[in-house]
Amino acid sequence: MRSGDPARSELDRRILDWMGEREAREDEARFEELALRLFAHQFSRCEPFARFCRARGATPETVSSWREIPAVPAGAFKETPLRSFPPELECHVFRTSGTSTRRRGELHLDTLAIYEASLIPSFERHVLPDLGCASQRARILILAPSPLEVPDSSLSHMFGVILERRGDPESGFLVQGGELEQLRLLEALEEARASDAAVVLCGTAFALLHFLEWLESEERRIALPGGSRVMETGGFKGRSRELPQDLLYENLHRSLGVPSERIVNQYGMTELGSQFYDSVLRLPGTPRRKLGPPWARVRLVDPESGREAPPGEIGAVTVLDLANTGSILAIQTADLGRAVLDGFEVLGREPGAEARGCSIAADEMLEAHASSEPRENEDGRLP
Amino acid sequence: MSRASPEEIRGALARLRGAGHRLRKRRAREILGSLASVLDSWRDPDSRMRRALRTDFASATGLAPAMVEAGMARALAGWTGGALRSLVERELGGIDALEGTAPRCVSGFEVTSVLLAGSLPSPTLLGLLAPLLLRSPVLAKTSAHDPVTAALVADSVAAADPELGACIEITGFPGSDRECVDALLDADCVVASGSDETIAAVAARVRPPRRLVSYAHRLSVAAVGADPSPDAAARLAEDVALWDQLGCLSPLAVFVEDREQGEAAAFASDLARALGDLQERWPRGAIPPPAAAAIARERDLAEMRAASGAPVILHRGAGTSWTVVAEADALIRPAPLHRFVRVHPVSGVPGLVEALKPLRRHLASVGVGGFADQRRELARALLELGASRICSLGTMQSPPLSWCHDNQGLLLPLARFGDIEL
Repeated sequence: MRSGDPARSELDRRILDWMGEREAREDEARFEELALRLFAHQFSRCEPFARFCRARGATPETVSSWREIPAVPAGAFKETPLRSFPPELECHVFRTSGTSTRRRGELHLDTLAIYEASLIPSFERHVLPDLGCASQRARILILAPSPLEVPDSSLSHMFGVILERRGDPESGFLVQGGELEQLRLLEALEEARASDAAVVLCGTAFALLHFLEWLESEERRIALPGGSRVMETGGFKGRSRELPQDLLYENLHRSLGVPSERIVNQYGMTELGSQFYDSVLRLPGTPRRKLGPPWARVRLVDPESGREAPPGEIGAVTVLDLANTGSILAIQTADLGRAVLDGFEVLGREPGAEARGCSIAADEMLEAHASSEPRENEDGRLP
Repeated sequence: MSRASPEEIRGALARLRGAGHRLRKRRAREILGSLASVLDSWRDPDSRMRRALRTDFASATGLAPAMVEAGMARALAGWTGGALRSLVERELGGIDALEGTAPRCVSGFEVTSVLLAGSLPSPTLLGLLAPLLLRSPVLAKTSAHDPVTAALVADSVAAADPELGACIEITGFPGSDRECVDALLDADCVVASGSDETIAAVAARVRPPRRLVSYAHRLSVAAVGADPSPDAAARLAEDVALWDQLGCLSPLAVFVEDREQGEAAAFASDLARALGDLQERWPRGAIPPPAAAAIARERDLAEMRAASGAPVILHRGAGTSWTVVAEADALIRPAPLHRFVRVHPVSGVPGLVEALKPLRRHLASVGVGGFADQRRELARALLELGASRICSLGTMQSPPLSWCHDNQGLLLPLARFGDIEL
């Protein structure tokens, strides 16, 4: 911990304690207290955030619940550095994917300890719920570049930590130099099948689709051992090939033998220190929904009124994440969602965007304009 | 409308080919006269079509009836029989070319299919009448966003001229139904509107030697000099409010010549006031949650830029009804539509042209206010960027019939030319 700020050190310590508990539990009072303290801290250390909050009449004196903390739009991380610590303490920057000419979002960090402490329990709880013992290792194959190759990718960093903590000796990254190593991956999967070693296949939806298409072109299918699972993340935004999630899952089942109930979607973003996962492995037999760690909460906000959406109604996904100690804890994502039991489902970005007559949003125009430019992606610049 | 099968589409095309044989035996002048009377009927605010737009169309699209009525009144004001004749003169060289009595003759295709995409009535009206003027029967696939207008057009043609009415049929099916799409694309001429992606997908499936006429997505902006007329903001507000910015002629951003005396910010305040006033007269229609979320997000981002020290000012109506953002720079930013407009400062014509460069492949119309001494220079620069229409503020939503839509014209792309050298 590099922070020389006693208030921050104390907050970090308490949040890390929570993350380090063997079976961390939901605790509303604990979350409320830490959220309000963290809000007050960030309000006093991050002037743009403080001004944003003041414009809404929200100050540490007026905010009495975590639900009242103003959420900063994730796009703001493209506009200005949102740090709640002195710049000279910065130790790492994660960047969102994007094109070379368009601005990328940046998450400035003065410590990686909280990010790493948050990601492991969530991954274990939702992707490895049957591998209870932390010393038990799994065959984890990653369809993404390593953090050495893409140090500013939060996704690669996350996978790096997961491999280090839970990967067996055969685990590894299978994207190098921007290319998915299909043959190496195929060999690794064949070897796992031959030795009856369950596989944890992780990657972006786009990379998985790329591999499935290649398998199909090679007329190959592999029946992975029982106990294998897939963790997919990210969508196809800005990509030339799109496939609805249910079709991707059908293809994963057909080509790799992994049924939908063993495929976990991870919902995360560079601007967040914590991730949310589908419930299917942890709570089989119940409706698929996104669940997060106890130190992160989701609100679904009615965009017209700015108030919480009624149960079952569509709302903008807003996340309060105590793992964001060095930046801003309340983030308004660009996604819409709906509450499902104790979790939520993500409905994607602007599903009704085409209902616009013959006009089109300028950002889509710019995307189209930029489509011929080199694209830097977290998933390794696949074609 | 019930979902059509591929067989029904093929049957419709066969019927239309038969009807086309009879149509082409008639004189072009007669057809022109019938279509002029169709336009007359649409211009009548008490006609069945206009009443249906205020009720059925408004209900299907969520647009406010008062706004729909105002938008149609403006759009159709100049669409007269005389304007139709002028259009034929301008694009085809005169009615004699259509009659086959001129040295250069013009004809339409045996049958034309039209894939409608938008949710505005006037492009649909014109899109269906244009092939008929060239004596080419039309099979139109309705837009998912407007299930009303195409059928109204067909009815109005049949009422004015039953034989011509037999030359227009309307069909409906999901765009994902490949078999139906392929059946529709078997027409001799295909007119497609939609996103660049849709156009590319259609283009890949139209088999030669069929003709494809495409209208991809476009957007419009406004340019205001440092010396605008006192009513410039009010006139621009009407251009923004009509059709809730859903048309390709709706301005999404305004570039104001700023001599560093706060001209752009002042214009943004005036525009905000005018949009607020219009909310009473032409209320913004209902919008789906994703659109509301996009507006909320862009408002928050504007406030965040302001909080970070940029001189950005957000003006907003109740809920998400209207938004004006006085930006600090000329950078193009996302446009959530539904009466969300950004006002950017520019240093003058060169600054404006530079700012518009990222949009040059998609520019449709530019509304201009002020720039008294630089209008010709400005217009030339905008045309070079690809704009197909430079017009005054307050007229952006009422293009003349002869507007060269997407730099192509209305009739020209649907026409086949032939020279008689005997």
